[in-house]
Amino acid sequence: MRTSEIATLPVVTLAGDDVAQVKDVVFSADGGAVAGFTLAGRGLLAGPLKQGLSWHHVVGLGPDAVMIADDSALEPVDTVIAAASSTSAGAGSGGNVLGDRVLTDTGSDLGKVSDVVIEYDNADGGPCDVVGYEIEASDALKASTSKGSKHTRLLLPLPDTLAVSSEHVMVPASAEGFVSDDLAGFGAAVQAFRTQLKGGS
Amino acid sequence: MLYSDLKGRKLVDTTSADTVGKVDGFLLDPATRSVVALEFKKTDHGSVVAWSDLIAVGADAVTVGGVSVVVEPDDRLADLATKDGTVLKKRVLSDAGEDLGSVHDIDLDPESGALLELIVGEKKHRVSIAGSRLLGVGSYAVVVAHE
Repeated sequence: MRTSEIATLPVVTLAGDDVAQVKDVVFSADGGAVAGFTLAGRGLLAGPLKQGLSWHHVVGLGPDAVMIADDSALEPVDTVIAAASSTSAGAGSGGNVLGDRVLTDTGSDLGKVSDVVIEYDNADGGPCDVVGYEIEASDALKASTSKGSKHTRLLLPLPDTLAVSSEHVMVPASAEGFVSDDLAGFGAAVQAFRTQLKGGS
Repeated sequence: MLYSDLKGRKLVDTTSADTVGKVDGFLLDPATRSVVALEFKKTDHGSVVAWSDLIAVGADAVTVGGVSVVVEPDDRLADLATKDGTVLKKRVLSDAGEDLGSVHDIDLDPESGALLELIVGEKKHRVSIAGSRLLGVGSYAVVVAHE
C-alpha cells in the first residue's frame, strides 16, 4: 500500500462513528516504519485536530478506513510526534522523506522520493513497516533499467534500516537491481533484496 | 425471516382483533446483535413496540395483546431510532478497514429477534455476513469483524 492512499481516509471506531480523518503520515525517525498519523476533522472545511493517532492504537488499516477501538485511542498530536522521533537513536529528520534524493552508498543518484510503500499485517498487531519508496527515476537510473524507458516512477525496495536526512536517503548500491514498476510483485522484490543483504553479499 | 418480507406487515391487537398499525422499521441493538423493537406507522398513538411485548411475529401479521404496548420510544430506543442507529443502506466496514458495500436487508430470527445475517452489497455482488460478526453501528458505518 502507498502512504499517499492513506491521507484523507476516515478514522472510524468499531462502534461505527467517524471521529477524524488522516491528515499526514508520521514516520519513525529512522524512516523505517509508520509511527502514527496526524488528523483533521471530517469534511472538506474542517481544520487539523490537536489529536493524533499512534500506530499501536490502530486496529485495522485498509483501503477504505483506519479502524480504532474507540475515542480513547486518540492522544495529543505532540505525543505521537515525540514518540516517533524517539524510536531511533539516529539523528532523524522526523522521517519526512518525500522529495528527498535517493543516493546509493556508492554515490549514484537514483531519483526523488515521490511516495512511500508500506507493509503491515492487520492480524498480528505488529509494526507498519516501510518497505520501499516510489521514486521519480533519475536519468542515470532510467538509462540503466530497460523498464525506465516507459516508466519514470519506479519502486525501490529498502533495507530494514537506513539513513535518512532532510536531503538524502542512503540505500545500498545493490537496491538498484531490485527496482520494479509493479506494486503487486513488489513484496517479493523486497523479500529477495533483504534476504540478499542478510546473506552478506 | 428477511426484514424486507416483514416490512408492511400489519400489527393486530388480539384483544380487539383490530389492525392497529403497519411494520415500518426495526431497531437493532448492536450490543446484543438483536432487534429490540419494531417501528410501526398508521398507529393511533406511539410508534414502537418492544420485541418482548410482541406476542408473535407471524407469516401474515404481528400480534400484540393490547394497544398499550404501542408506545413512544424511550431514551434507549430513541437513540437507536436516529440516523446513527439505522442499519439499512448504511456502508459496511470490516475492522480491517475495508468497505464491503451497503446493507441491503437483514435476516432475523422471528422468535428471538436475533440478527442472523446482514445482506450486503449490490444485486450482482450480494454477500451475507453472519450477525455474530457485527461489532457496531454508528454515524459512519456498520462495522463487522473481518473473516
